[in-house]
Amino acid sequence: MTQKLAVAALVLAATAGTASAEKIKFEYWYGLTGDLGAVVLETCNRFNASQDLYEAVCVGQDGYEKAVQNTIAAFRAQKHPTLLQSFDAGTADLMLSGEFYPVTQLMADTGVTVDWADYFPGIANYYSSSKGEFFSMPWNSSTPVYYFNKDMFAKAGITEAPITWEGLEAALVKVKESGAACGLAYAPSSWIDLEQFSMAHNIPVASNNNGYDGLDTELLFNTTLHVKHMENIQRWLTDGVATLRTQAAGKTSRDSFVEGECAVFFSSIADHNTIHKLKPAFAWDVQIIPTYEGIERHNTVVGGASLWVLSGKTDDEYKAAANYLAFLATKEEQQFLLENSGYIPVTKSTYEALKAEGFYAKEPFINRDIAMKSLTFTEPGPLTRGIRLGGMIQIRAEWTAEVEAALAGQKTMKEALDTAVSRGNEQLGRFAQTYAGKSFP
Amino acid sequence: MVAPSFIFIGGPMRRAHFKFSWIVPLLLAPQLLVIFIFFYWPSAQAVYWAFTLEQPWGGGNTWVGFDNFKKVLSDPYYWGSVRVSVIYAVATTILAMGMALTLALFVDRQLAGYRVWRVGIIWPYAVAAPAVGLAFQFVFNPGAGIFSYINTIAPGWWDLSKYPWQAVTAIVVAGAWKQIAYSFIFFLAALQSIPRSLTEAAAMDGARPLRRMMDLQLPLLTPTFFFLLVINITDSFTDSFGIVDTLTGGGPFRATDLMVYKIYADGFRGFDYSGAAAQSIILMCLVMALTFVQFRYIERRVHYT
Amino acid sequence: MIERTPILNIATHLILAVGLVLILVPIWLAFVAATQTLQAVNSAPVELWPGDQLIPNLKEAWAQSAFGQKFVNSFVVAIGVVVGKLTLACITAFALVFFQFRGRMVIFWAIFITLMLPLEVRIVPTYAVAANALSPFQTIMDWTGISWLINAVSGIEVALEWNLLNSYTGLILPLVATATGTFLYRQFFLTIPDELVEAARMDGAGPLRFLWDILIPLSKTNIAALATIMFVYAWNQYLWPLLVVTDRANYGMVVVQLSDLVPDQLTTGGGTPTWHLAMAATLVVMLPPIAIVILMQRWFVRGLINTDK
Repeated sequence: MTQKLAVAALVLAATAGTASAEKIKFEYWYGLTGDLGAVVLETCNRFNASQDLYEAVCVGQDGYEKAVQNTIAAFRAQKHPTLLQSFDAGTADLMLSGEFYPVTQLMADTGVTVDWADYFPGIANYYSSSKGEFFSMPWNSSTPVYYFNKDMFAKAGITEAPITWEGLEAALVKVKESGAACGLAYAPSSWIDLEQFSMAHNIPVASNNNGYDGLDTELLFNTTLHVKHMENIQRWLTDGVATLRTQAAGKTSRDSFVEGECAVFFSSIADHNTIHKLKPAFAWDVQIIPTYEGIERHNTVVGGASLWVLSGKTDDEYKAAANYLAFLATKEEQQFLLENSGYIPVTKSTYEALKAEGFYAKEPFINRDIAMKSLTFTEPGPLTRGIRLGGMIQIRAEWTAEVEAALAGQKTMKEALDTAVSRGNEQLGRFAQTYAGKSFP
Repeated sequence: MVAPSFIFIGGPMRRAHFKFSWIVPLLLAPQLLVIFIFFYWPSAQAVYWAFTLEQPWGGGNTWVGFDNFKKVLSDPYYWGSVRVSVIYAVATTILAMGMALTLALFVDRQLAGYRVWRVGIIWPYAVAAPAVGLAFQFVFNPGAGIFSYINTIAPGWWDLSKYPWQAVTAIVVAGAWKQIAYSFIFFLAALQSIPRSLTEAAAMDGARPLRRMMDLQLPLLTPTFFFLLVINITDSFTDSFGIVDTLTGGGPFRATDLMVYKIYADGFRGFDYSGAAAQSIILMCLVMALTFVQFRYIERRVHYT
Repeated sequence: MIERTPILNIATHLILAVGLVLILVPIWLAFVAATQTLQAVNSAPVELWPGDQLIPNLKEAWAQSAFGQKFVNSFVVAIGVVVGKLTLACITAFALVFFQFRGRMVIFWAIFITLMLPLEVRIVPTYAVAANALSPFQTIMDWTGISWLINAVSGIEVALEWNLLNSYTGLILPLVATATGTFLYRQFFLTIPDELVEAARMDGAGPLRFLWDILIPLSKTNIAALATIMFVYAWNQYLWPLLVVTDRANYGMVVVQLSDLVPDQLTTGGGTPTWHLAMAATLVVMLPPIAIVILMQRWFVRGLINTDK
């Protein structure tokens, strides 16, 4: 028996010996699935093949929500990964918990260089603290645009895709008059209709500069231009220039656009790649989201997800993760992501280099960089840095449920938004109570 | 069947039993140990959260007493959610069990080719969840699915984004579908364990097949029926998230916001662990009360021996 | 049956045919989706007849997924759950039905309640237990001061640890910890006539002999039904395996792999709706459970022993 034990110990020692000669491993849990999940996995393979010091162990967690949820569960048992891909709405809790390693500091501590000034301000601001330190590493980034059917626009005599809501409404009326079945395929989206709309118009979604300056925040979107905008959308739906196109209503807005039913729909620039793959039988293009006339346009902000480094891991793992993050930030890897998805570059130098190479002059990338125009329209100000609210996911859900009720004629749009605000404020109150005495870094 | 009065629920009792011995604790220990570790211990923690505001990433919590419960119970939308959950549970259970029982009784007649029917009805149970969700989108989708053919006759009649009752119908049908094979298997197994001699004797007495079903087979099925009733009701309260999520997302305007979906949406998606824990306890109490009622009033009609 | 009931027979086939069609419609649509191109699967109205892309889709789905070893793992886990559950449920129900003792009902209900709180709701604390299955005992010993006592007496620091992450045990045990099976066996055991128990006792058979020689042979169809259900249930589990297995190459399960193929649907996701691939992979993934269903049919035989006297 004792002999057996000794043998076992020897074997253990032997494996430990080889392990140290092996690559330093770190775990990365990501949310993307389907073809995008395959892209994440491929970046890991490319990283592992590119050098022989480190090894990224990449584990798909079936969606952003589950990725964050599972990471929390693992974190509480101290079995969490070093890296987590999280979507913006899921990170307020993580920020306040302080259980992350800001990437700026990580890079400084591990001696890996990243040119932080090279990041687009619209992206940098979104993922940084008030001191300008990056919390997390931007990676798969997008912003909303609208897609339009060029053939239908031409038939209706529209030569240029409008960039004001008044102009778009007029265009939609013309499209309808030219005999089209449907103008705008509308699907309620708080990300586009509320959050990005408010950014582009430089109006607040919530007090405290959209939550950045404290937890005692209250929602304000029932007092701004957002109300009039939603009432306009409702009017278009009643007049027939817009049609509700959601899964529940029979067809998603994207499907209805791709089939050539509706002339316009709003979505993330990430769909640019998808629509190419779905091969619509007509010419189409994208345009920045409109603003109302007489309003000075501002930038939109980045959407998508970023990579968070979590606390409680070893120096070796941090070093490995830092190298992986720096690897993702290189021009080659950004280009790899861009070529295999609809996302946008995150650094100025990469964007300029790609433009100079003619990347955006050939299909399927033509005009995809319109997103950059939207994102960099102005320097981000106090109201256009982003939104930092606890319980954001519930707030979005309240908004959607109430807007649905208004669109179905159950209440007026104003009543609906008032209810969404008061219910959202309850969420914010709970959040503030949960993190009493803390503030966003 | 005489139920001793000291048992707090009138569960049936055997008159003949073995003497209590050291074997009993040994037989019970494994199951109790497993549920203690994997159910009671973790659940106790969730119960504690219901009385606090818990920070998801650890880092502590604040004791708030019954605040989480008060908040949930004073929310008018929550009662709407309770209402639709009850409707959903009752409707899916009736639909799934009714269909499963009918099919099982007829398959059990063992006419030529019954094996084909048997396999055909059971195997849908093997389909993984993502496929089921998508399949039902194809069925109910007002613009593209099977139901869109109704809309070619009566345009706009079927629209899940407008009519709450249609959305509820859609999730009930999908939920029942998911349960049919399950109930069918157990009904069939129970029917098959009714000895042939019994049915043959009844046939000799001149009882026609339908009469035998009513008078002989159904009463003998009651223990299984009771099992499936309790399981189906419990399941439709606790295991309906996937269907709601893929078919309606809780809409239109919260019409299909089932209790368990709300728990997921708040806790799993929105990281409000405390609110979700309070809701879980309410859901658990409701299901327990319903189960209690079933044991108390329905099990009386079950013929065990 | 010797009797002739032609009308009823036709009605029987009709009813079964209608039922089967209703049940199969959704599956048919899923199958059709697996045979189409990306463009066709995303166009309206939904196709009712298969396209010609089944083989290419299957190939692509297979190439993207590396299913091989995962089938083996899914088998191990599903069989483990079936065996564990059948055994645990059977002996527990046997103790609860055939013995009389104080606390019988309390134990029954304690087991029963486990049906009422789904895993998803308690996933965070359950994970903590999977990371160290002995943590409840550690905590109890710490609270009660036993750890301190042991430490004081023997100088040994009590640190119990049993990590179940990335192991078959971790995948199987939590799935075994539910009450369905116990309840089913209870229902069946209650139908066993008292005379049978008395006869066994008269013959001098102990409880375990009675269980093995009489009860289990009698429960054959119920066991077959429960085993079928449990196999499929375990095979189709995905939230728990998704969480406890990060070493996907060695312990990954097929259904988790399948969920990787299901396209992203979040607003800001922008993933391609590759449902044709997801459905093709579904067809592959559900083959083993279907084989089990068909195999288990053999045990769905009419009971030979007359349980009713």
